[in-house]
Amino acid sequence: MPSDDIAISVRNLTKTYRLFGHPGDRIKQFFTLGMRQYYRGFTALNEVSFDVRKGETVGIIGRNGSGKSTLLQLICGILKPTSGSAIVNGRVSALLELGAGFNPEFTGRENTYFQGALMGFTQAQMNERFDDIAAFADIGAFMDQSVRTYSNGMFVRLAFAVAISVDPDILVVDEALAVGDAQFQARCFSRLAAMRDSGISIVLVSHSTEQILRHCDRVGMLEHGKLMGDLGEPRQIVNQYVATLAAAPAAGAGIAGNDTVRQEPFLSRPGYNPGEFRSGNGKARFVDFRMSAPKARGGRLMLELDVIFLHTVSRPLYSLFIRTADGVTLSSTNSDDKAAQTQPALTQEAGTRATVCFDLQPNLCAGDYFFSIAVSETRYGDKEVLDRRHDAIHLVLHDPANLGGMVDMQPLIRIDSQPGEVQR
Amino acid sequence: MRSEAINPIKITSELLRHRYLLGQLVKRDVLLRYRGAMFGVLWIFLSPLLMLAIFAFVFGHIFQARWPHQPDGLPFWLMLYCGLIVFNVFGETVSRSPTAVRGFPAYVKKIIFPVEILPLVPLGAALTHAGFNFLILAAALAWTGHFSAGLLLFPLLIVPVLLLGIGAAWFLAAWGVFIKDMSQIVPLFVQMLLFLSPVLYPVSAVPPGLTFIYNANPLGAVIEAARAAIIGQPIAWPAWGAALVLGIAVAILGHAFFQHSRDEFADAL
Repeated sequence: MPSDDIAISVRNLTKTYRLFGHPGDRIKQFFTLGMRQYYRGFTALNEVSFDVRKGETVGIIGRNGSGKSTLLQLICGILKPTSGSAIVNGRVSALLELGAGFNPEFTGRENTYFQGALMGFTQAQMNERFDDIAAFADIGAFMDQSVRTYSNGMFVRLAFAVAISVDPDILVVDEALAVGDAQFQARCFSRLAAMRDSGISIVLVSHSTEQILRHCDRVGMLEHGKLMGDLGEPRQIVNQYVATLAAAPAAGAGIAGNDTVRQEPFLSRPGYNPGEFRSGNGKARFVDFRMSAPKARGGRLMLELDVIFLHTVSRPLYSLFIRTADGVTLSSTNSDDKAAQTQPALTQEAGTRATVCFDLQPNLCAGDYFFSIAVSETRYGDKEVLDRRHDAIHLVLHDPANLGGMVDMQPLIRIDSQPGEVQR
Repeated sequence: MRSEAINPIKITSELLRHRYLLGQLVKRDVLLRYRGAMFGVLWIFLSPLLMLAIFAFVFGHIFQARWPHQPDGLPFWLMLYCGLIVFNVFGETVSRSPTAVRGFPAYVKKIIFPVEILPLVPLGAALTHAGFNFLILAAALAWTGHFSAGLLLFPLLIVPVLLLGIGAAWFLAAWGVFIKDMSQIVPLFVQMLLFLSPVLYPVSAVPPGLTFIYNANPLGAVIEAARAAIIGQPIAWPAWGAALVLGIAVAILGHAFFQHSRDEFADAL
C-alpha cells in the first residue's frame, strides 16, 4: 500500500496487446478458450516501476511508439494492465486528447455541461464553474455556437478550460498542449504551475524537451516500453534522450525510416539538419524545401515547403516553429493565423501537391536557429499530425554580427546634446 | 469473473450512480437525431403521427383489415400500432446496440468513462420514442372511443422487454466492438423477428401446430399482454411472468459478458 504522500504508484507495470491478423481470429480465440493462440503479442510496456509524489510534476519522454501513451492510459485506468499495477491515490483528470468527448454538432455551452457530466459533475456544480471556464476559454459569443464552427484555437481553449475546471488531485497530460497558439500554451502552463503549487500531481508526456525541462521536477525516459533507469533530474535525462535521438535519427515509428523518405530532395538541400526528429501518420509528407535567408539586416526570410498528399486531407494546417539551439521557441505561426493573411486551406485530394510559403521578417541576431515544420489535420476535434519534422532546417545567420542577444530590435537611438555647462 | 458483474443489486446501484450522465447521453442522442432539421424536435411527435395516419389509411381504408377473432373491437391499425410500440422498444435498442460502444472510441480510449452505460443509451432513446408513441396511442384510443384504464398498465407491462433489450444490447455492444458485421446482421435479424412476433397478428391466428414457437418468444407474451390490457381482456400473467424472469436472466448475463470483455475494448478500437 503506498504511503500518504505518494499520488501514483506504478509497480512492474506491463501491457501486452493481442494483435489479431483478421477480425475473425478474435472470435476463434474466444471459442478455443486459450487452447490455441491466434494472435501475436506486442509488449508496449515492460516492467515499469516508479512513484509520483503529491505536488510533483513528472515528465515522461520517449519516441513515438515507446509506450508513453499506453503508460498514461494505464495510469488513468482506461487500459487494464497485463501484469503489475498502477495505484492512483485521488481523483484523476485525463487530458489525453483535448475535447475527446466533444460533439461538433452541439454548442460550446452544451459540450461544457456534458463534459462536466462525463467527469461526474451535476448541472448545479457546473453552473458554479461555468463563468471560470468561459473566462479562461475566452471565446465570447461563440460559446452558444455549435463547436463545428470553431477554429482550432477556440476548440482547444474551451477543451482545456473544461478539463482543468474539475479540481483533480492528479492531472495526466498527453501532449495535448502541443496544439494551440504559443500564447495559449503559455497560459495553460501557467495554470498548470498554479495547480501544481496547490498540491496537484501532474504527469506530463511530451516530445518537447523544452516543455519537459521547464515544467518537470523529475523525468523518466521510455524506450521500447522500458523505463531507462529511474526518474531523474530533468536536464540529465533530456540530454540522454537527445543523445539517443542523434544516434538513430530516422528510427521513429510511422513515417520515418521509409525508403521513399530517404530519396526526398529535402535531405540534400543546404540547411537540412540530419539530426531532425520526424513523426506523423504519413498521410502527407514534406518532400522538399527552399529557403532564402535575409540578405541584409531586417530583411525577409522566405521558406517554401513542398508537400505531397498520399491521402485526401480536408483543411490541412501548416505550422512553423523557430527555436534556438538550446531548444527555446522564439516564435511560431500556422496557417490558421488570421493576421498572416492566409487564404483558407482547401481540401487536398490524394496524390496532389501543395507548396506553402512562409514569408517572415525574423529580426534575429547572428546565431544558429532551427525550424520545425508540421502539417496536420483536425478531424472532429482530433488533431492528427500527418508529418512533423522537428528541427528539420538549420539556419545560420551572420548579420548583424555585432549585436548581443537574439532579437534585433532594429533600434533607432537619438541623442540630443545641449551646449553649455550644467548648473550645479 | 468478478461477482459484482452478476449481482443484480450491485448492477442496478452502479447504473443508478451514473443516472445523470446517462440522462445527458440519452438527451444528446435524441436531440442529435433532430438537430438541424427545420421542424427540429417536433419530428419526435410528427413521425409516429404520420406513421399512424398511414396505417389507418392503408389497413383501415384500403385493406379494410379486421383483427382476427376480434370482429367489432379495436380497428386493426390500432392493434398493430400497440404491438409495434412494444416491439420497437426492443427492436430499436437492439438494432443500434452493435455501434453503441464502437461508435464512441474516444469514450473508451481517451477519457475515464463508465463504458457499461453506453448500451443503455439506445434503450433510453427507444423509451423516449415509445413515450411519445404511447401518448399518440392514448389520444387515438380516446378519439376512436376505445380508451380504457388498462392503458395505465402499459408502462409496467413493457418491463420484460426493457430487460431483454438491455441484456441483448450489452451482449451485442460488446460483440460489435470486435466484429463490425454485427451492425449489418442485427437489424436484419430484428426485421425477421418483427414478422415472427405477434405484432401484425395475434398468436391465436397461428396454426395450432406452430404455437410452440410463439410460446418460446418472450416478446410475444409481452405484446399480447399489452394488447389485452388495452382492449380490456384478461392478461396472461404466467406467460408475462416467464418473460420477466427470462428478461432478468438475459440482462444479468449480458452485463456479465460485457464486463468480461470490456478490458479488450480499448485494444480493439
